[in-house]
Amino acid sequence: MTLRPTAPAFASTLALAVALAGGAATAQSGDLVTRDRVGPADAGNVLTFRLTAFDLYSSDPATAEAFAGFFTDMILQHPGWRIETQLQTGAIAQEQARIIEQSLAGRGPDCAMVDSSQLAAFKTAGVLAPMNDFYTEEELADFFPFVREGITDAEGNVLAHWWFTDLRVLYRDTSVIPDAPETWDELQAAGLASVEAGFEGLLFNAGRDEATAFDWLAHFWAQGGELVDEAGTPVFFEGDNREKFLTAVQFYADLVDSGAAPRRVTSISNYDDMLAAAAAGSTAMFIGGNWMFGQIQNTLDAEAAANWAVSPLPGPTPDQRATGTGGWTIAALSDDPGKVAICADIARLYAGPGNAFQRLLPTQTSLFAEFEAFDGPEFDVFVAALQDGVARPGVAIYPEISNQIQILLGEVLSGASDPETALDAAAAAVMAAYARQ
Amino acid sequence: MTARPEVTHPPRSRLGRGGPFPWLLPVGLTIALFYLIPILDALRLAFTDASLLGREARFSLDAFGAMLGSPALGTVLRNTGVYVVASVTGQMALGLVIALLVVRGERHRLPGMVAVRTIVLAAWVIPGIANGVLWQMLFSEAPFGAVNSTLRLIGLPPVAWLSDPGMAMVSVILATVWQGTAYSMILLYAALRTIDETLYEAAAVDAATPLERFWFITLPELRSALLVNAILVMVMTLNTFDVVIALTGGGPGRATEVLALHTYTTVFRGFDLAGGSVLAILLLMISMLAAIGIAAALPRGEGR
Amino acid sequence: MSGTMVRGRGARIADAATYAALLPILAFFLAPILWLLSLSLRTQREVFLGAARFIPQEPTLANFTRVLTQSGFGTYLWNSVQLSTLGALGAVAIAAPAAYAFSRIRFRGRPALMMGILAVQMVSGLVVLIPLYRYMDRLGLLETHFGTMLLYISAGVPVTVWLLKIAFDAVPEVLEEAAFIDGLGRAETFVRITLPLAAPGLVSAVILNLILNWSQFLIPFIMLSRDAKWPISVAIHNFSGAATASTTQLLAAACLMSILPALIVFVVLQRLIVGALTSGAVKG
Repeated sequence: MTLRPTAPAFASTLALAVALAGGAATAQSGDLVTRDRVGPADAGNVLTFRLTAFDLYSSDPATAEAFAGFFTDMILQHPGWRIETQLQTGAIAQEQARIIEQSLAGRGPDCAMVDSSQLAAFKTAGVLAPMNDFYTEEELADFFPFVREGITDAEGNVLAHWWFTDLRVLYRDTSVIPDAPETWDELQAAGLASVEAGFEGLLFNAGRDEATAFDWLAHFWAQGGELVDEAGTPVFFEGDNREKFLTAVQFYADLVDSGAAPRRVTSISNYDDMLAAAAAGSTAMFIGGNWMFGQIQNTLDAEAAANWAVSPLPGPTPDQRATGTGGWTIAALSDDPGKVAICADIARLYAGPGNAFQRLLPTQTSLFAEFEAFDGPEFDVFVAALQDGVARPGVAIYPEISNQIQILLGEVLSGASDPETALDAAAAAVMAAYARQ
Repeated sequence: MTARPEVTHPPRSRLGRGGPFPWLLPVGLTIALFYLIPILDALRLAFTDASLLGREARFSLDAFGAMLGSPALGTVLRNTGVYVVASVTGQMALGLVIALLVVRGERHRLPGMVAVRTIVLAAWVIPGIANGVLWQMLFSEAPFGAVNSTLRLIGLPPVAWLSDPGMAMVSVILATVWQGTAYSMILLYAALRTIDETLYEAAAVDAATPLERFWFITLPELRSALLVNAILVMVMTLNTFDVVIALTGGGPGRATEVLALHTYTTVFRGFDLAGGSVLAILLLMISMLAAIGIAAALPRGEGR
Repeated sequence: MSGTMVRGRGARIADAATYAALLPILAFFLAPILWLLSLSLRTQREVFLGAARFIPQEPTLANFTRVLTQSGFGTYLWNSVQLSTLGALGAVAIAAPAAYAFSRIRFRGRPALMMGILAVQMVSGLVVLIPLYRYMDRLGLLETHFGTMLLYISAGVPVTVWLLKIAFDAVPEVLEEAAFIDGLGRAETFVRITLPLAAPGLVSAVILNLILNWSQFLIPFIMLSRDAKWPISVAIHNFSGAATASTTQLLAAACLMSILPALIVFVVLQRLIVGALTSGAVKG
């Protein structure tokens, strides 16, 4: 009897939940696109597609609606088929590991979004089906070289469609720093100038996150440094690479020690932190991703936003430039030709109209010309910088290398270690892990 | 055989007659089915070269050498020790203080006690993913960082909450205490409510000070609850990494990398299932030792 | 009923001291929650200001309506309610007999067994995850709420045994002894005497299980890959956004709404504990 007081509260909670569930379901039924399906419910053939929640099921209504349209157009080209959609959450590392585990157990999806940084793991696990037969020679030749290399295996099979890329650039407030720094020295001078003007200096990721390692690697790559050799063995700590590695670490250390960058960079592991600083007017310069250009326009007052400009990352000399290029791929995990064909078409819709809508960078040169969305002057900078694009090496040891770089940068920049010692420790850890792969 | 009102042991011996096994059966089955089988499988993996990437696993002892011989392990274990001891102490002390205050407030019918408990609980149920976002904003070292702005308002210098290796650990512990205190509060609150009021009434007759009442009545009566609480919170904290990963990711450098996070990185970033299993065994052994240590440090009175 | 005594000046000072002590504690616990609230009321534009602004200039409820109307939020919530409730009740039902045996029956190896029960829970879930996935696959329980619920139950059982043992320890044996003399069997004594007297402890155990289940991530994550079956603890990661698209404001709104049911249940059940305690006090 003592339970009586609970009943109404519980019941009303449940009623609310049920009402919401019902409401959500009816709102979308009758379409070709529902919460878990694209295409007619009674279609005989089913493809399962594991996608992220950023587009078709985006919480932004306009994005979701646009993608529902693209998907509808696509599925109408494949009568008799429906796509069973499965969401992956933002817990990316676990999601991607789960897809591998499920595929190895024979329960994986037929087609899935794979983070380009995880592509090597998928290749190593041997769960990807070749997609070559579903692309023309022209289409394949149209991919940027770093993309083509990333999606192709040793036998020349295309194992994924890398549908958008991103890159790192230098953002600056031109009212404080009128000219784009071309070299590391100019960058440091510009940072110091901004500090003198009352700002907190150059911001960049140096916290414990993949973004830190990837952003920094541009400076290593700009000197021609290589993380692994042809055989995939880590070599970043020996020979010429060692010197280049230490030079790039020292470049970061000098930025912090000179005061051109604040010490707090070791706590920044998120591009949004830098956007917040730009919006709050506390910084005049940061290293960020290309996608942040749009965010700046949307966040800052039009007047302030107009002051912000992008330029390629400075290098040790004006001619030595590089930038890390990431992004997402779509890959087939089933080798049923009918399914691979649809998987390739899904990838095409993301690569073309999808990218144009989301203003993400396509990986094929022709697409930049095809869509007006890419006409802005910032895209000229991005496309030019993409020529210096370097992708992560497609080896399964990369995550451990990245992990060690994050640790090393944190220790050096916080004064807990010096570059040489930290590099030796990182090398030992990477080689120990590599020996066990 | 007839009931004699003897004070010593007859009641217990009578109730205690008969085997415990029928009573233990449901729990035994649950543990055998859903714990032992997968756990044994996981332990087996420690003796292989298993990888998440699906290679056929073969017998190997390499994982032990690689994991236990890693130079990073010392730092990680030291971090784990600091993190767990400080977080568990903080959670229990704060949980006990809140429970005591709330029980006192309720006894005197002070308004607002439900609100206090609910707010503390809210911290616990807020999904860990939000935790990182929140504390990063609070501890942000940008000129506009929430806590540092407040410090500046009252004339104090800013603190390098996350970029200084030592402070980063403090910050992570604060966030962990914030999140986990509700558990201790609930357990100790329930235990406090079951203490026999007559004990306090007797103490009132003896004119005991509040501190004496706490020391000689409350603490001894809470002993069993404190022991269990300490062990449970310790086990949970040892296995916690979501707060750390969201706030510092283990950095700067390795300054806040604890064993659970190290295990996570090994499995999910390094795809090293065997290495992760070795670390899990290590974590298990540490948990056991710590639990036994706590049990020994808080001897149970000859209660029940 | 000591509350009937006349409240003197000393008591008023003590009351003030109680509030004075609670104030900083509340500030510590409330501040981050208020920040969460602040984030949830922001527009996309203001979210990027991060810590730079506390009170939104253009507060909006749009994030809440958006989360509620479009994202299957109700389904997730309902899944959470089912899984958490059944998991909590199941754990308490299975743990209670064992806890009673640990509390009342003296047998060889009892302390070791109790420690052993807890020890299984000390194994890192991260590592058991993969074997568990393969195992549940063999049992054919993947992708089912039933299998997920079984794991919720088993996750809760060890701690619940310990919690209930404390609760049963606090029930005076004299009362059971009396029932025993009246000719009730042990099982009957347990059900009719011990359980009702241990009600506060039982309810506390249910609450703790409910709340732990409510925030359980790993189990549903490995068991369920269809989003229609996800509880909110998994689905909330939908709102975490990508590097290229921050949705912190939606995440904040979703987090706040996801904790409401847990808080309501907590408040209501806590009343029950207090009620049970006062009714139990009549025993003397």
